[in-house]
Amino acid sequence: MNSTTVTEAAVLDALRGVIDPEIGCNIVDLGLIYDIAIIGTKVKVTMTLTTPGCPMHESLCGGVQMALLNLEGVDDAEVELVWDPPWHPTMMTEVGRAATGVRTG
Amino acid sequence: MREASAAAPRVVQPVAVGSSTTAVLRTANAPLVTLPLRFIVTGLLALFTGIGWLIARPDILATYHYNQYVIAVTHLFALGWLCSVVMGAMYQLVPVALETRLYSERLAKWQFAFHLVGFVGMVWMFWTWNMKQVGHFGSVMAVSVGLFVYNLVRTLARVPKWNVTATAIAAALGWITFTIVAGLAIAASKCVYDSETGLATAVGVSTVVGGLRAVARFIARFDQISAMHAHAHLSGVGFFTLLIVGVSYKLIPMFTLSELQNKRRAALSVALLNIGLVGSFLTILMRSPWKIAFALVIVGALAIYGWELRAILRARKRANLDRGLKYFLTAVGLLAPLSLLSLILTWPSLPLNAFTGQLENLYGFLGFIGVVTFAIIGMLYKIVPFLAWFGVYSRHVGLAKVPSLGDMYSVRLQVLGYWSFLCGLAVTSGGIVLSSNTIVRTGCGLLALSAATLAINVVKILSHFAQPRIIPLATTKSTRTSPK
Repeated sequence: MNSTTVTEAAVLDALRGVIDPEIGCNIVDLGLIYDIAIIGTKVKVTMTLTTPGCPMHESLCGGVQMALLNLEGVDDAEVELVWDPPWHPTMMTEVGRAATGVRTG
Repeated sequence: MREASAAAPRVVQPVAVGSSTTAVLRTANAPLVTLPLRFIVTGLLALFTGIGWLIARPDILATYHYNQYVIAVTHLFALGWLCSVVMGAMYQLVPVALETRLYSERLAKWQFAFHLVGFVGMVWMFWTWNMKQVGHFGSVMAVSVGLFVYNLVRTLARVPKWNVTATAIAAALGWITFTIVAGLAIAASKCVYDSETGLATAVGVSTVVGGLRAVARFIARFDQISAMHAHAHLSGVGFFTLLIVGVSYKLIPMFTLSELQNKRRAALSVALLNIGLVGSFLTILMRSPWKIAFALVIVGALAIYGWELRAILRARKRANLDRGLKYFLTAVGLLAPLSLLSLILTWPSLPLNAFTGQLENLYGFLGFIGVVTFAIIGMLYKIVPFLAWFGVYSRHVGLAKVPSLGDMYSVRLQVLGYWSFLCGLAVTSGGIVLSSNTIVRTGCGLLALSAATLAINVVKILSHFAQPRIIPLATTKSTRTSPK
């Protein structure tokens, strides 16, 4: 049993290690993470991708799960991929927009 | 948490992501990366051979094209380079882009073997002008195309949401089938069937030979050069151009973070391309003055395609286009001079002389090398890094820092390849028009430089299989490590 308490900030920090290799930006600043639910040592992440049919689909979802399981205090991780609402550049952080040159207009 | 979470997402497609760290070289939909890679590497070898061949024999482009050497080199480029890469890429892209699963990887592996034997034998026999053996190796190629088409038709049958890209791919599969049938018929028409009487007792064989003789008699009704031109258009417009148009309606929005802007406009461009090609094939074959009308239909289709592509690009969210996309979009832009040339060459009162013969050479060169080759090189800069990245790094995501796709090759070399290709294209085009061996050889030298940059970059990309660049993340649990 793991005694470390997981925080949303720690989860986000871990997810910043998952990079979309086509755009060259981490999935947090890219705005792909919609929700994080922490129940004890289980973390559930709800996320999307920039487009349906994205060839990076499994790499990114699998990478999110690995990043979560690699976090101290996490014993179980679940990733849920959703398409609604669809991703839009307005969901990116300022850091992400600045790093990638993606525009919102 | 952040602004996006306030939108209360509705779950529409939960994805089961296992906790296993088993090494994988495939996505759920696409095949093993080694399958498309073997086609792509074969295609690249054919490209380098073809350009080397043109440097050694510039007269192939600098003189009129109805001879065995031009036909051999054309098939090396069309089957060895373009078809190899396109087939490999389609095995990877069609399942991913259309959100389905490849029907059979085993069939695809068999198809590769038939394809390799078929195109190498065909090119060799065209060079020696042994049409009987061209027919035999062409039959092997027909088996290859048959397996390819069957596999993809079964794959398309599983597509959950039919769209303009799926329609274009389905039509292109029909046209490549027709291309190979037409090519075999032309080969049959050039054979001598003096052995038929000696086969009278072997009923099955004599029936086949009798059938081939009947095909030969039918094809002999048409002008031989016109039949060859009609056959070339089936592949150039029906297979390669239609695929470029259809696939880009999916990939350009994906790479530029944009969307298809007008589905009707996109569908109209694909429909007109098909209608124009039916008419072009028949009017070219029959040397009809009406071929300009159908050329205009195809040019109209390409104009509508350009209009939609421009709208997609204007709506894009990624301000900067990477060099691979610039290759592709420049190739699409080259459709404009190619279209103009097609209208000149279909002009009803155009005299047939040495100069217009060279314009026909230029048309074929601009089509297969200018447009299709440049577009495919651009897409290779997307596909090959992805295949290598997926094969090497996919299982390390989240556990280690891995390179992005753009880190896997030299952008400087890519830029050098871009400009040397365009210069090579311009110089070779000039050499073709002027019938100058020296200028053609110089232009092909520049194309070889561009091909060399591509080769170095492909080696750089594939070197990640041997030497992965993985930096473990600092936050890694002591009990869990990145998989070997």
